[in-house]
Amino acid sequence: MTSLLAVLIDGSIYASWLFLVAAGLTVIYGVMRILNMAHGSFYAIGAYSAASLVGWYFNNGIGPAWISYLLLVGAALVAGLIVGVIVERGLLRLMYGRDEILMVIITYALLLILEDTMKIVWGVSPYFAYQPYTELGRTAFGLLKVSNYDLALVGVSAVLGLGLWAWLERTNQGKVLRAVIHDREIAVAMGVNVRLMFTITFVLGTTLGALAGALTAPAISVVPGIGIEVIVLAFAVVVIGGLGSIGGAAVGALLVGLSRAAAVHYAPEFELFVIYGVMSLVLAFRPEGLFGRTMARKI
Amino acid sequence: MEMLKHPVSGCITIIVATLVLLAGTPAQAERFELGATSAEADAVVGCLYPMTGRSATYGRDSIAGIKIALDDLAQEAKAGLPAPKLRVIADDPRSKASYAVRLAQDFIANDKAQFFCGIVSSGVAHAVSDLAQREKIIMVGTDHASSRLSIEAGHKYYFRVTNDSWTSMAAGARYLRDLQKQTGWRKLAFIGPDYDYGHVSWTDLQLALSDLGVAYETVGSLWPKLYEPDYSIYINALQSAKPDIVVTALWGGDFIAFIKQAATTRFFETTRLANFDTGANYDVMTALGDQPYPGLILSARHHNNWPDTGRNKRFVTQFHEMTGRFPTYAAEGAYTGIIAIARAIEKAGGANDDAALIKALEGLQLALPEDPPGFASYIDPDTHQIVQAQAVGTVVHNEDFPPSKLMVGNWAIYDAEDLKPSKEMVKRRRDAVAGGSEAVPPPTP
Repeated sequence: MTSLLAVLIDGSIYASWLFLVAAGLTVIYGVMRILNMAHGSFYAIGAYSAASLVGWYFNNGIGPAWISYLLLVGAALVAGLIVGVIVERGLLRLMYGRDEILMVIITYALLLILEDTMKIVWGVSPYFAYQPYTELGRTAFGLLKVSNYDLALVGVSAVLGLGLWAWLERTNQGKVLRAVIHDREIAVAMGVNVRLMFTITFVLGTTLGALAGALTAPAISVVPGIGIEVIVLAFAVVVIGGLGSIGGAAVGALLVGLSRAAAVHYAPEFELFVIYGVMSLVLAFRPEGLFGRTMARKI
Repeated sequence: MEMLKHPVSGCITIIVATLVLLAGTPAQAERFELGATSAEADAVVGCLYPMTGRSATYGRDSIAGIKIALDDLAQEAKAGLPAPKLRVIADDPRSKASYAVRLAQDFIANDKAQFFCGIVSSGVAHAVSDLAQREKIIMVGTDHASSRLSIEAGHKYYFRVTNDSWTSMAAGARYLRDLQKQTGWRKLAFIGPDYDYGHVSWTDLQLALSDLGVAYETVGSLWPKLYEPDYSIYINALQSAKPDIVVTALWGGDFIAFIKQAATTRFFETTRLANFDTGANYDVMTALGDQPYPGLILSARHHNNWPDTGRNKRFVTQFHEMTGRFPTYAAEGAYTGIIAIARAIEKAGGANDDAALIKALEGLQLALPEDPPGFASYIDPDTHQIVQAQAVGTVVHNEDFPPSKLMVGNWAIYDAEDLKPSKEMVKRRRDAVAGGSEAVPPPTP
């Protein structure tokens, strides 16, 4: 029974983390039709920025612990905004309208460039920023003691998901964005500034990626390569849920999170297999993903 | 052209491109050429060590260890001893087997290397060892530890001069046996990286415990991937299994991350954590800060504070004077590799007769910094694995090696002869492979 509870709790925590990472990826694809391979790097930049800032804050004994949570979010917002604007304005804007495959290659190249740039900036040694994680303490669920930071991550993930949904469905800007998703050409014809919408979407996506990294940083060791590991998992999640679907990303994250937790607890040898086994099963029966829509190709 | 129409975008692109160009230069692997020139060298040694990525510290320390060995040999030559002049070339295999093999082939073709040395990753070492066998080049391995390389996959051109996973796990099994007598522990769990080294370490531990007749119950074995950043789910799974002791083969940054993350839970309140092969490495000690987590049982292939001999103190001091920091075990491993090659050349009377060199290496005695008083390491003629004593202990405050505030102490010392794999076990493992099965018959605890 404890084991089942542990699977549910571990799975939910892992799923919330996966959703945080995958949300930005799926938003960018949904609006811009760019399968952004560099998304993992935005996650890593967020993690490094947050770990550096929080580490500096605690090493210098500057103030109370609660400020470190603001620093985590602040680091992510600044890093996401700066990197997002530079990449969108300096690179992607020059490539719009090109084939989706070419965009995958371009963003993959960007991923490699950013990975090496991070090694130059932050070196190769691990960064640890555990204080925000430990400060929140733990909650007992029977025999299980679960970190309150992890539980908070589930809450943040849920709020973020609902916020994204509300923004897309309940605001004028969201309606305009959905119009762009539905038909870019008609949106342009109706006077929508699509380029501005692209910039907003891409910066939102990169900021979500950086936020995921920043919020994860206190729970992990921030090391070179975390962005590459993350992007593979994030792709599995959005492919299961359906590319471009926020709800799909949430369901995909839950499926992957719970499956992985069950594997670690009951059959550790199958941990990696389970994640991609679920993805293969979904693709075998619904190639467009659980919530993906089959779209007619325009000629 | 599009760029010229958008001056702001163009400027940003140029900045990004410049950053990329700047980033490219230092990220490239650095080739080191040490010791004698090719004209004056008695032998050329091609070494593979990580210079970039997460294991770069081990590569840097290995290079320093090689420099100390070459200095020692130069001093001997000055004193009129028959020390050979070695030319050592070191390059970075970037943790990729295919790339390592290409570099090793280049060592032979371009540099006329007669020896290979080094390699931190067991997986990469497998590939280079195969090449060494095909090309009839002697490989003196340091710091990759899978015992499979010297037992199942051993061949006459392959030697290893640092502890392998068997040696460490044999010492660990003895420590666990003795601990059981004091505490009565029964439940054991294992967590190791999901590649050859991790799995072989677990097999070695089970076989060693079985050989000693230690009764225990395995309550879990977990296999996170190498360089896993988040161990929380594994830590929860381990806590659910309620082991008395967790043995781990996680190493370097992975082990540090595991400890740091476990420390945020009640893990250390309920469970002992043992790492018998790499846990006491200096980088781990430094990363622990001033927190001697209760229940940590550690060892490593070389310790800066054990044995308390002149040879060890001299090595650690030389390293510190050369680099301004204290060594990880990789430094002593690389030092040993070069000294072993030099002694083999001396004994064989030159570097051109493979058969004589192999004969010289088999049984070769080496007085090393990690040898306790009255003992000299030697290379087992059957497995070609160095035979060494090992010290296992717990964490204590010790600020003699700053910035580390902790070191291992409360030593339990295990004799080298006791840690050798038995001839029967070596035969059984080799027969299992020869018979078409990689699986070693399961131990019966």
